[in-house]
Amino acid sequence: MIIRAESVVKQYGSFRALDGVSLSIPRGSVFGLLGPNGAGKTTLIRIVNRITAPDTGSVFFDGRPLQPADVARIGYLPEERGLYKKMRVGAQVLYFAQLKGLSKAEAERRAREWFVRFGIEGWWNKKIEELSKGMAQKVQFITTVLHEPELLIFDEPFSGFDPLNAQLLKDEMLRLRDRGATIIFSTHNMASVEEVCTHIALINGGRNILEGTLDEVRARHGSVEERVVVRQSLSMHDIFIKAVNNHEL
Amino acid sequence: MSKIGLVIAREFNERVRKRSFLITTILTPLLMVGLIGGMVAMMSLRSSDTKTIEVIDSSGVVGPRLEDAGTIDYLPTERTLEEINASHESTWGVLVVGPNVMTDPSDVRLYSYSSSTFEIEAAIAGAISSIIETEKLKGYDIEELPRIMAEVKTDVRLTAYKVDESGGEKESSSMLSMGLAYGLGFLMYMFVLLYGVQVMNGVIEEKNSKVLEVIVSSVRPFELMMGKIVGIACVAVTQFVIWVAVIAVFGTIVVHRMVPEDILAAAQSMSATGGVGADGLGMPTGTPAAEMGADMSALVDNPEAVAALGSMMDLGYIVPMLAVFLVFFAGGYLLYAAAFAAVGSAVDNVQDSQQFQMPITLPLVFGMIGMINAMQDPNGPIAFWLSLVPFTSPMVMVERIPYGVPAWQLALSIALLVATFVAMVWLAGKIYRVGIFMYGKKPSLRELAKWISYKS
Repeated sequence: MIIRAESVVKQYGSFRALDGVSLSIPRGSVFGLLGPNGAGKTTLIRIVNRITAPDTGSVFFDGRPLQPADVARIGYLPEERGLYKKMRVGAQVLYFAQLKGLSKAEAERRAREWFVRFGIEGWWNKKIEELSKGMAQKVQFITTVLHEPELLIFDEPFSGFDPLNAQLLKDEMLRLRDRGATIIFSTHNMASVEEVCTHIALINGGRNILEGTLDEVRARHGSVEERVVVRQSLSMHDIFIKAVNNHEL
Repeated sequence: MSKIGLVIAREFNERVRKRSFLITTILTPLLMVGLIGGMVAMMSLRSSDTKTIEVIDSSGVVGPRLEDAGTIDYLPTERTLEEINASHESTWGVLVVGPNVMTDPSDVRLYSYSSSTFEIEAAIAGAISSIIETEKLKGYDIEELPRIMAEVKTDVRLTAYKVDESGGEKESSSMLSMGLAYGLGFLMYMFVLLYGVQVMNGVIEEKNSKVLEVIVSSVRPFELMMGKIVGIACVAVTQFVIWVAVIAVFGTIVVHRMVPEDILAAAQSMSATGGVGADGLGMPTGTPAAEMGADMSALVDNPEAVAALGSMMDLGYIVPMLAVFLVFFAGGYLLYAAAFAAVGSAVDNVQDSQQFQMPITLPLVFGMIGMINAMQDPNGPIAFWLSLVPFTSPMVMVERIPYGVPAWQLALSIALLVATFVAMVWLAGKIYRVGIFMYGKKPSLRELAKWISYKS
């Protein structure tokens, strides 16, 4: 298990964002973190990123308690994308990579490779504010993966991408997985969950109400009847709605 | 490089490379030097403009004895006031001296065709007074009166000394050091406010561009906040050092161009001897005044000006003052910048920040007012207390320095300032780490207080 969370509780004032969440993310998996808006997904992701700390409960990285230095082994693409608008693309990529512990020279070497792969060599000296939203997203993706983290966290990675670039991104994600990275993938897009995820967890009201491999989840939630009659596995979309509706808050 | 080092470097580089930084940094001192140069030029322009005053003298005493002085030419006339009023091409004004001026000194009137100045009126009144005094003295029939008068004439020059604790004497700093102290105090106010607001705007910008979430997944919020504060402080210090350098270079050029060699030599010899002792001061009076223009002889007769010039060139005097300025700037800036960072983190845009800026700018403005007050009485109780209270001490203490501040007061003031900014940075860090993730509704002060108790 690359990440194991145990009874994590996080309270903001009177609002309990996480109410004793436990989950395990196996190394090498593509882990779908699902849940309705406001379920606590982002809070959980922030705790894994050490942006905020749990009130009670603990998080283990690679079997031992999560430590400050571990953030260098994690790459995070938040749902709210953001880069320094006035800063030049190249300088910005190097800055983020150096914050993750890469040397400047190594960061520049890798960044040049990525720029070639994405066909954006000409952007190095452009300012972010000169780029379109989709272009900025590509730059942000590079800043997320440049330090070759073992754990990648993508929060709604495909929003704002046209189908062509979404496919490019998906291919890159799978390539990173093939090279050994574990991916936490938070999304509302159930089709892409079924396409790429090996495991999922469903968070609702600050609790983990469903967890397992895709097949396990299907087996547990498709009734015998449905499986026989429909002769196909229940779609993730249906499981999502059913599980959330059945879950009493 | 450590993470906080990277943050500092980014803040510094991004700001220093901006065109606006370059422009303000280069232009501001040029403007200041230009302004002073312009004022000097205006003064010399004005003095070269001669004013002809026609004198209608019915006393027969004053008219013949009036001597042209400075820019005023006296022209005795037979014409009446009405005649002159009818045609006064090159005449600036008319001086009418009554017949009984010897007994009634108020029997003198000045009519001018353009607006008169206090300076001109004082010069004319002074000239007439001394004529009448001399004439009255003549009435006593004293032998060798002119010789006695010349001998009696005395011009007192006061040089003030400040006796410090070690018993040594130091020439008391007056006009120049006062001006410098006031200037530095004002600069402190300006820098703390300008750069403090820059910190706040920087935080708001990061919050708006949503870049924070990525950054704080690599850097602790506290490191990010301190990195920003320190990075911007480096920008401020860079700007300050460039200003001092540019002003020093241009100031030297201006001084060498506008001030005659011998005065410069006098001033230099003064600064060489540390500005101490009457020798340096006495010297300029020995310089034959006749060899110089009238204006310049006034300068040499004015030890104050030579002393000022001397201390301007005396680095030993200015360096400790700048050092104290930098220490208090560091402390005062950290204190206020941390508060500004907390405000920036709590709001989504600059408009919303106004309400929270008030409690920060109020003590700053209070310190400014205290500074002006302290100038009247630099060692009085107001100055004493305000130079100890951390929120006002950076301005007021810098302002007090030239008047001599006991070491224990300086140490206590710095210690209080350090303790307060440590507390403020801690408090601001608590608000900051929560505030940067709060979007939407502007929080109340009570909510801000609640954030402080949140666990990180």
